[in-house]
Amino acid sequence: MISYAIQRVLFALPIALGVSLVVFSLVHLAPGDPISAILPNEASEEMVIEARREFGLDRSLIVQYGIWLGKALQGDLGSSIGNGRPVLDEVLSALKHSLILSLAAGLLACLAGVLLGLLSAGLGRSRWQHVVRVVTITGVSVPHYWLAIVLVIVFSVRLGWLPPLGMSPDSSAGWRPDLNHLQFLVLPAIATAAIPAAIIARTMAASIQEILSRDFMITLRAKGLPRSRINVHVLRNAMPTTLAAIGLQIGNMLGGSVLVETVFAWPGAGFLLSNAIFQRDLPLLQGTMLALALIFVLINLLVDLTQSWLDPRIRRA
Amino acid sequence: MLDRLVCALSLASLLLTASSGAALSQGTLRIGMTVADIPLVDGAPDQGTEGAKFAGYTIYDPLVSYDLSSATTAASIRPALAESWQVDPTDDRKWIFTLRRGVTFHDGSPFNADAVLFNLDRALDKNSPVYSASFDRQIRSYLPSLEAWRKLDDHTVELTTTQPDSLFVYQLPRLLIASPAQYQKVGSDWDEFRRSPSGTGAWRFGSMVPRQRLELVPNKSYWDTERVPKLDRLVLLPIPEASARTAALLSGRVDWIETPSPETVQTLEGRGFTVSTSAIPHIWPYHLSHLPDSPFSDVRVRRALNLAIDRDGLVELLHGLAVPAVGTVPPESPWFGQPTFKITYDPERAKALLAEAGYGPGNPLKVTAAISTSGSGQMFPMLMNEFIQENLRDIGVELNLEVFEWEALRSKRRVGAQAPENEGVTLLNASYSTQDPYTGILRYLTAAEIAPKGSNWGSTRDEEIEALVEELRAEFDVAKQDPIVAKIHARHVDQANFIWVVHDGGARALSAKVRGHVHAQSWFVDFSLITVEP
Amino acid sequence: MSYLHADGGAMIRAGGRHAAWPRFMKQKAAMAALCFIAAICVLAVGADIFAPEDPYRTRVAMQFADIGTTGRLFGGDELGRDILSRLLYGARISLVMAIVPVAVALVIGGALGVVAGYRGGIVNSIIMRCMDVFYAFPSVLLAVAIAGALGPGIANAIIALILMFIPPIARIAESVTTEIRDHDYVVAARLSGAGTLLIVGTQILPNVAGPILVFSASQISVSIITASGLGFLGLGVTPPHAEWGSMLAALRQALYVNPVVAMLPGLMIFSVSVAFNVAADGLVRALGTKQ
Repeated sequence: MISYAIQRVLFALPIALGVSLVVFSLVHLAPGDPISAILPNEASEEMVIEARREFGLDRSLIVQYGIWLGKALQGDLGSSIGNGRPVLDEVLSALKHSLILSLAAGLLACLAGVLLGLLSAGLGRSRWQHVVRVVTITGVSVPHYWLAIVLVIVFSVRLGWLPPLGMSPDSSAGWRPDLNHLQFLVLPAIATAAIPAAIIARTMAASIQEILSRDFMITLRAKGLPRSRINVHVLRNAMPTTLAAIGLQIGNMLGGSVLVETVFAWPGAGFLLSNAIFQRDLPLLQGTMLALALIFVLINLLVDLTQSWLDPRIRRA
Repeated sequence: MLDRLVCALSLASLLLTASSGAALSQGTLRIGMTVADIPLVDGAPDQGTEGAKFAGYTIYDPLVSYDLSSATTAASIRPALAESWQVDPTDDRKWIFTLRRGVTFHDGSPFNADAVLFNLDRALDKNSPVYSASFDRQIRSYLPSLEAWRKLDDHTVELTTTQPDSLFVYQLPRLLIASPAQYQKVGSDWDEFRRSPSGTGAWRFGSMVPRQRLELVPNKSYWDTERVPKLDRLVLLPIPEASARTAALLSGRVDWIETPSPETVQTLEGRGFTVSTSAIPHIWPYHLSHLPDSPFSDVRVRRALNLAIDRDGLVELLHGLAVPAVGTVPPESPWFGQPTFKITYDPERAKALLAEAGYGPGNPLKVTAAISTSGSGQMFPMLMNEFIQENLRDIGVELNLEVFEWEALRSKRRVGAQAPENEGVTLLNASYSTQDPYTGILRYLTAAEIAPKGSNWGSTRDEEIEALVEELRAEFDVAKQDPIVAKIHARHVDQANFIWVVHDGGARALSAKVRGHVHAQSWFVDFSLITVEP
Repeated sequence: MSYLHADGGAMIRAGGRHAAWPRFMKQKAAMAALCFIAAICVLAVGADIFAPEDPYRTRVAMQFADIGTTGRLFGGDELGRDILSRLLYGARISLVMAIVPVAVALVIGGALGVVAGYRGGIVNSIIMRCMDVFYAFPSVLLAVAIAGALGPGIANAIIALILMFIPPIARIAESVTTEIRDHDYVVAARLSGAGTLLIVGTQILPNVAGPILVFSASQISVSIITASGLGFLGLGVTPPHAEWGSMLAALRQALYVNPVVAMLPGLMIFSVSVAFNVAADGLVRALGTKQ
């Protein structure tokens, strides 16, 4: 197990390097001069050249990449062109906020997903199976940003129950898991969890059905094993696949909630990313992308290791 | 199970919203801004006019400010930290400013001539230890004529311009004065200063959560006793998305939003909110390329397009949040003059003019405009450009819209119509402040300003205007300046150098609880007299 | 979000394809979904005939007109244009953005996967490690970042989506190819002197096609949701063209004025997405999981 773990970690390193290269080059595909973003309308050519030098944009791309990577390895992602704050600070605080949202949404998605998955696989009462199937297929098909808007209209504007945007009340001294703060979390978490919950449910159902159809299950059933024992067996075998789906969805939520975070002005990494895109804040864009991708790599690694620990047969070459 | 959890959560929060609403301290004004991030609070705010409005003129004062006390007259220049000023009678490049006495910064240190020099040094003197490029970026372009500065005594400073410039004083309102003593106290570190900034303004810095919230508290010992804030607290939230701002206002999360979207005006008013507009100094035009290969090198084409736009229809579409524009400034402005070309909606005359210029059904005019998706002062660019696209189609002109993100459009504007980046683009939709003659009118018209050196994007050249500008710069009698500006503007309209569309109404929507709001004819607001009822 | 299971399409590999179509036809829901998609396609292609109004014609008085207004059967948008006509014209771009990225990714990803799997060794390593790098980004994030970097426009959005779909498809193709490469019948074919192209064409492709087709079919709804999401963020089409995601964004303000009208584009995205998912499910069952 340990040698396998080491192997997987070593394997993740070149990927991380590749990720950094993609992030760096992606940003340099961008049309429009990033420098004009920070200068007032009246800036002269001279000021532009000056600013370009200040941000190191006058060097060749390879040199820029080298410098950027070197600094990134030391934890220095540069400063935001927009507001001059260190990118690392911005990214870390945004990631913290995204993590809060992802965990809440992840929890919601797991609960709902596993529940629906069990029902839909026919382990519960079978007349629910069809209803659940409709629910899950609706779930994976819903444009979550649209759902988010509808939630705001209904629960914030019409009913006035929950705040429409932001993540903390005025004069909040920092996020705490108290009701004052949690109320801000409800709507974004529901919108974020909708699709993942349905995906988890479907993956789990498919996996359970596949196991039920295996030869040894038929044997077990033929032997007259009690239904509950069979179910435990099935669940244990369906775990690794379900877990992988959950891991992947949580990873995706962390970066994939760009749209939901935008609708709710939730100050997370996705919101930061879309702001960086629209303000052409290149260091910020690079930093956010890099951090999100690296975390995603890490989550995948953890899922992979957990999975192989649960079921050594699926270790990859 | 899940449903019950959600139910419980929403119920709990329902109770909570109710109780927290009552617990709010009296007199807190919460504003939804349109910017995506908190503007810099160091006295050189970024994010354009909105940055200056919320993070600039609140915490800081300039030497020369705007009078924001009237909703019915144009916001004129007035003394602030400078009590008075005059041009040196022996040298018209030298301006002498007498500073206000007895003013202190929020940290308790006194305001004096050294503070003024400190603030000029930090932005403009690269050799100064207090210099930072961040200030340079925000300040330098507002002070194009300034060459040198020195202290005459503790309460007098002398500013020298590069050449005689009668309009120099208009350049000063964006120079805000931050506290040198506070900078020393926090270890001469500007990043530290941004965590505990200090100015002389009516509001002191309270707290800030980046990208989420800026809170200001009143400066009870403000030097202008009539403008000591009445509120307990001013909370500023960045909410860039228009419908999110509407939701925030409707659900009581904020009491005031900037730029509500036009479609929601009736809904807001129906629910007891006030939507306020004013004749703010702004123009939403198209720059036209005057280069030889552009169809707009022909004045008939420029005029035709000006006549093809249904401005009243557009204003109706915007639910009255804008004013039709028939020039860079409105006709009641002293700078409007008497142009002979009257801009109206007259598609027939537009077609006739196009036909004269050689365009018609057999040879339709096809042009491309660079526009943005959003941006400071751009109002509702997609909606408005699509409307105008249809107007032009009615007179047989095919307007192709090339959409850019705001910063990309700004870089296209900076390089000028002749640059390869603008190949094929002959119109550019960028809006401007018309607060003073230079930034509003002159800089788009003179040869010296042709891009990329200056703001003359379309390479407009006009001998008549050049001569008038020379005359204006040498005219130090303020009363005689306006008629010259009016002549320049009249010529500008007659030549149809732009396509003028609308002036922004500077709309904001306020809850009925907000009292004492005066919507000045300016980008800026005086928050001092405002109160909020519980 | 994506459907990527731990082992891709592995569980739907076996099963005969010969009787797939009749089996698909027997599923009522899937057939209904397919008919719905076909109807939308016909309406989109024939928008010039079916649209009652010029989709670009603005009329201020018709701003957010109610459903059922004469000349604005499905209401008016923010410029008073006919929403029904715009939905029909918008279907063109929205469907293209749903199907084209997946189709192109199917070809490119499939080819990359087969080459990597068949060649093995260093070629496999190079291709698959590149895929791993793109795999290392949360998928929507990748699409938004690429589209954001390239700027607004349909072409850019499609490129972003293609790049999002290639890695998973390549992975599935590679794993299937690697598995059957050393099967007896493939080895036998190789020994008998069959050319690489022939072997790939006759032995590999038929086996790879099923799993990646099924997977791709399930990704079409992901594509339409993501594509409309890009449009919603302002990274999709340029005006005055209609596209459901950008229509949804433009109509957001109308939610306070005429919510029913404002819901329409979202409803279209939703229903087409549901239809593609139901049809894809039907395809999975028709091709037969291990039963």
